[in-house]
Amino acid sequence: MTEDSVLLDPSTGYLLLAIFSVLWIGLGFYWGRRNKSFEDHALAGRNVGLALGSATAAATWITSNTTMLAPQFALELGIWGMIAYSMAAFGLILFAPLAKRIRTLMPNGYTSGDFFRLRYGRTAWGIFMLFTLFYSLTWLVSMAMAGGILLEALAGIDYVWGMTVILAVCVIYTMRGGLGAVIGTDFIQSLIIIVGIVVVGFAVLQNVSVDEIHANLTATKPELVHVLFPAALMAIFNNLLFGLGEVFHNNVWWSRAFAFREGVGSKAFLIGGLVWFPIPIAAGFIALASGALNVAVPSPDMVGPLVIANVLGEVGAVAIFIIVFCSLASSIDSLLAATSDLITEDIYRRLLKPAADPATLKKVAQWITLALGVGTWAVCVPRVGTLASVLFFAGPLVGAMIWPIVTGLYWRRASSVGAIGGMLLGGGVGLISYFTIGWFVASTIGTAVSMVWVLGAAWLSKDRFDWNLLKED
Amino acid sequence: MTFSSGFLTLLVYGSLVWCAISALGLAAMLIKDLLRGESW
Repeated sequence: MTEDSVLLDPSTGYLLLAIFSVLWIGLGFYWGRRNKSFEDHALAGRNVGLALGSATAAATWITSNTTMLAPQFALELGIWGMIAYSMAAFGLILFAPLAKRIRTLMPNGYTSGDFFRLRYGRTAWGIFMLFTLFYSLTWLVSMAMAGGILLEALAGIDYVWGMTVILAVCVIYTMRGGLGAVIGTDFIQSLIIIVGIVVVGFAVLQNVSVDEIHANLTATKPELVHVLFPAALMAIFNNLLFGLGEVFHNNVWWSRAFAFREGVGSKAFLIGGLVWFPIPIAAGFIALASGALNVAVPSPDMVGPLVIANVLGEVGAVAIFIIVFCSLASSIDSLLAATSDLITEDIYRRLLKPAADPATLKKVAQWITLALGVGTWAVCVPRVGTLASVLFFAGPLVGAMIWPIVTGLYWRRASSVGAIGGMLLGGGVGLISYFTIGWFVASTIGTAVSMVWVLGAAWLSKDRFDWNLLKED
Repeated sequence: MTFSSGFLTLLVYGSLVWCAISALGLAAMLIKDLLRGESW
């Protein structure tokens, strides 16, 4: 990559990288002083308030995919593409009542793995762990790789260096500060991202009107403004279900449900979803303006930054660099913390060392965070795979976990046979449809198959689950 | 049948204004929580 082909002067890129790295690490150390036990480290003392709770829900859900892939969705699937991406907000919004239920049923819970183990037994727990670790680790790897690729494309920072710095910064402040540091930095990152998107969006509209964008699309790419665009319409349901599956099962969100103060969880997830909902549209419409602005787009996944840098110059490039860096950090830190807690609680504590004391568990969680960071770094160095394909490959697996979770939380008849069959059949059929039909139907089919099996098994079941079994100390 | 220019305008400006209100709302909520000692 030559300096001429990047959007930002490399020295400015390195300066921004240094400033934000020092800021996040400093805050991580500052907030980490409060943590004495595993509960403090993993769940921020179970006392997070509404403002920080709402912001962390929104910020964690704003990944580099939201700011980079949403414009690509708009470029390829048009107006419906932006709306389809926004549908992922319903993952957070519909998790709101579940968060309240989780906090009530499991006042001493730590992870989503605890729920599967106590509600459905070891076999279902094992399948869940396989699915969720596959999803979490591929998400982590895709985020770290995206970080390296984006910093190289935006500022000419070498891929390995950019990826290493982003990963190292997140590992250091997550190790030191735990979930408290993750939630605190999430608040700052969410405000920077949202304000940045608003400023960039209105600045683009100073250069081209929506009427001009619409006229250009109608003349050159009419399918992008068509009301009946089949692939885009299917993508709406796929993204909705993918979003539900991702949020409902993953420990990133369950750990927050346990960490929020009593009475805060449902409101925080609802507000977080509402905050997130307009972001893919606000970030995505910029791609639709590329034609009207005569911006050449050699690579669809870079359409957002290309338009912004072309229209706003150096200032726009700085803005997109900061937005992308904050989007990446807000997701990578959450994944590191939640996956490390999942391994510490579900594998180390429950399988290996049941008598481990809180201080030891905290240390183990910190070392696992470091190990996850090093492992992710080793996978990312060769730079294989693409962002979207890795992300959507996990879609049917997470979709197949929606019904075991929802029925398991609300329905005493929901059974282990239903949960195990639902996850295996839904995930399997969903993956087959991913390869034989396409990504845009895989989550829908996986979720539908899982639903039929889970509901059928519950209807035939004679089990009546005792909710008190979830109140494990 | 295509989406009108008016609909696209509503979608784009609506989302940008919504984002701006969200940011202000989050900041206001944090100040309120800090004043009550309920941030975390």
